[in-house]
Amino acid sequence: MQMGAAGTKSMKILFVTDRRVDAGSIQAVAGHVRAGNELGHTVAVYGHPEPNFPGVRFSSDVAAFDYVVFIFESKLRWLDGLQLAHILSAVPRKQRAIVDADGMYNQRITVDGYDHNHLNDRERWVWLTTFDYLADKILQPTLKPHEPGVIPLLFYGYDPTAQVKPATDAPKRFDIVHVGHNWWRWREVSNSLLPAIERVRAHLNGICFVGLWWDGVPSWAWDLGLEQAFCVDVDGLRKLGVQVKPAIPYSEVIPMMSAGRVNIMTQRPLFRRLKILTSKYFEIFCADTIPLVMLDPDHAELVYGPAGRDLALYDRIADKLLDALRNPQKYRASIEEVRHHLAAHHSYYNRVRELVKALEG
Amino acid sequence: MKLLFVSKLDRFARAVSTITKYVQTGKALGHEVSVFGEQSSEIPLVSYSLDVKRFDFVIFVVYMPADFPDLPYLAQLLDGMPKERRVIIDCYGRYNETIRVEHDFNHLEKMDGHQGWEWIEAFQAVSNKILQPTLKPLRSDVRSFLFHAYDPAGVVCRHSSPTEAAKAWSGTTNGTKPYGLTYVGNNWQRWTQMRRFLEAIESLKSDLGPICIAGWDWDRRPDWAIQLGVQGADVDPVLLERLGVERRNAIPFDEVRKFLGQGRFSPIFHRPLFNQLGIVTNRTFETFCADTIPLLMLSENLVEAMYGPEARLLAPGDDLAGRLKDMMRHPEVYWEAVLRTRTHLAEHHSFERRFKELAAILES
Repeated sequence: MQMGAAGTKSMKILFVTDRRVDAGSIQAVAGHVRAGNELGHTVAVYGHPEPNFPGVRFSSDVAAFDYVVFIFESKLRWLDGLQLAHILSAVPRKQRAIVDADGMYNQRITVDGYDHNHLNDRERWVWLTTFDYLADKILQPTLKPHEPGVIPLLFYGYDPTAQVKPATDAPKRFDIVHVGHNWWRWREVSNSLLPAIERVRAHLNGICFVGLWWDGVPSWAWDLGLEQAFCVDVDGLRKLGVQVKPAIPYSEVIPMMSAGRVNIMTQRPLFRRLKILTSKYFEIFCADTIPLVMLDPDHAELVYGPAGRDLALYDRIADKLLDALRNPQKYRASIEEVRHHLAAHHSYYNRVRELVKALEG
Repeated sequence: MKLLFVSKLDRFARAVSTITKYVQTGKALGHEVSVFGEQSSEIPLVSYSLDVKRFDFVIFVVYMPADFPDLPYLAQLLDGMPKERRVIIDCYGRYNETIRVEHDFNHLEKMDGHQGWEWIEAFQAVSNKILQPTLKPLRSDVRSFLFHAYDPAGVVCRHSSPTEAAKAWSGTTNGTKPYGLTYVGNNWQRWTQMRRFLEAIESLKSDLGPICIAGWDWDRRPDWAIQLGVQGADVDPVLLERLGVERRNAIPFDEVRKFLGQGRFSPIFHRPLFNQLGIVTNRTFETFCADTIPLLMLSENLVEAMYGPEARLLAPGDDLAGRLKDMMRHPEVYWEAVLRTRTHLAEHHSFERRFKELAAILES
């Protein structure tokens, strides 16, 4: 570690992540790179530069970094032996950490007989053993990890500079936009959101769901025993007039959200149970839209501050959707209050400082 | 010395035969040799271990990315053995700049997802000692270590003289050779040479007898190769049909010598990349254990350097058909070359000798 210009310690952090341009944690990684630059830290992603990842610095010089941080999502083996051999040989275990984005380092959890982190005990054992061998520190993007030894690190954050200015001239293309993949979301969407939309559909204009697997269950899902995770009623969506668009790169998420007068954030049940945060928690507040988050109001307040309760889409969903569309000015103050709260407590500056502290701790 | 080999063992491919021999030879010489991993019943001759710290050295035998173990074991392995006690044997010449020869290559991202720099940087991170099974590595930071070797005890028929060998071979005392020619190898980067070979012997088809090839993907170009646009698994089924070539599935490593001995001749090819880099394989040596006359379809330099001067007769050069005719007419002459070459291999390329070379490299 070197001293930065302001006399602070300058840390070099290398993220090792499954590089998916339209999924996972790549927005957060880009946020860490930007904030790290301003704070005097060097943050990069393992690999050689790729043009479709704007704002992301790449490096393969593993030994030049103080810490390597693996970002694990729902897949364990996205790195093959050659890459791992390179990284593990160059950086000792005490300088390696894991961001456990999907809460895999936990007991087996099944929510409502539906969403789960591990299919069986053997799978859980492999995940936990892997994490234990791989890294000295396990970080989870939740305020309250369940397992002892896990460090809470929210990781995902808010970037005030990404805030889209309110459009005054062009009308919005959609009344409602939902950006997110159909991954363990269908039960909530079909049980709560779509019935509410159906009730007031006659009063709504365009509705758009953006993401993977809203157009059908992928053929490989059955082989993995994961068909429930992608369950979808394509005809039902069509009949309801919900337009489905494919996944978009992370750099287009906020502009896409800004195409909707209202944006809805849903979250898979396991994440709600574990209180795990994601990029969407914050991207939705960067967009020029009315963000409504399908969280219980207490959790919304915990993350967004008191005004977050006003934007929780928890009960009387249909009424709230209509109200937001008909009385947008009523929500402006709450949105601005949340943005102030996020800038103060959840910016990527905070996140980078928290990460540095966790790694040094 | 306690050695731990790390490689993905497959009964039908790569280094399984050679590593098995290191286990046996090491034991005979008073060492302990195991393979990293959970005990497998597939290869009972090999003992497996996960107890990395019990070993003095770890030897990575690398052909492909999967030769590095999966998680969580790789972390356990690398954290348990310091870099200076790790060695890599680079069997495909990965630790080089990207090289293309005909359709062959040492790096191809569309095959395994890795660019050249990944191989170079990974190898450098894992070990300071990188060995390649060639007499002349291209890079100055690579040491020559042939790795594969000859097993004198594994010779299937120990003929006491060329005359006896020739008699047995000609069927006068032993009619157990149903094939004129046998070949064992998977259809990967071999078709260019195999085609030339088969076309050259087509005129001898009736004198030579049936031909049998054992290995993967000789029936047709596999779907994955078509999808990826990779030509290394090309094959011409029409030519094979015309020559009546019998094709069999891959056979396990411990049946190779017996199978090769069912043919009077057995060619040794090295894939184009290996020819360029001078890389040897298990089959370079193993074919001489089988009861067959090996046909050395290799460069003169390699033949002389590896097999000794007596082996020149077994390298047909450009006149394959003419040499085969002569071999069939005068088998005794050629069996003498085979037996002398076996002696040369036993003296210079035995597993015992190879093991000692490896031990010297490890201790250096």
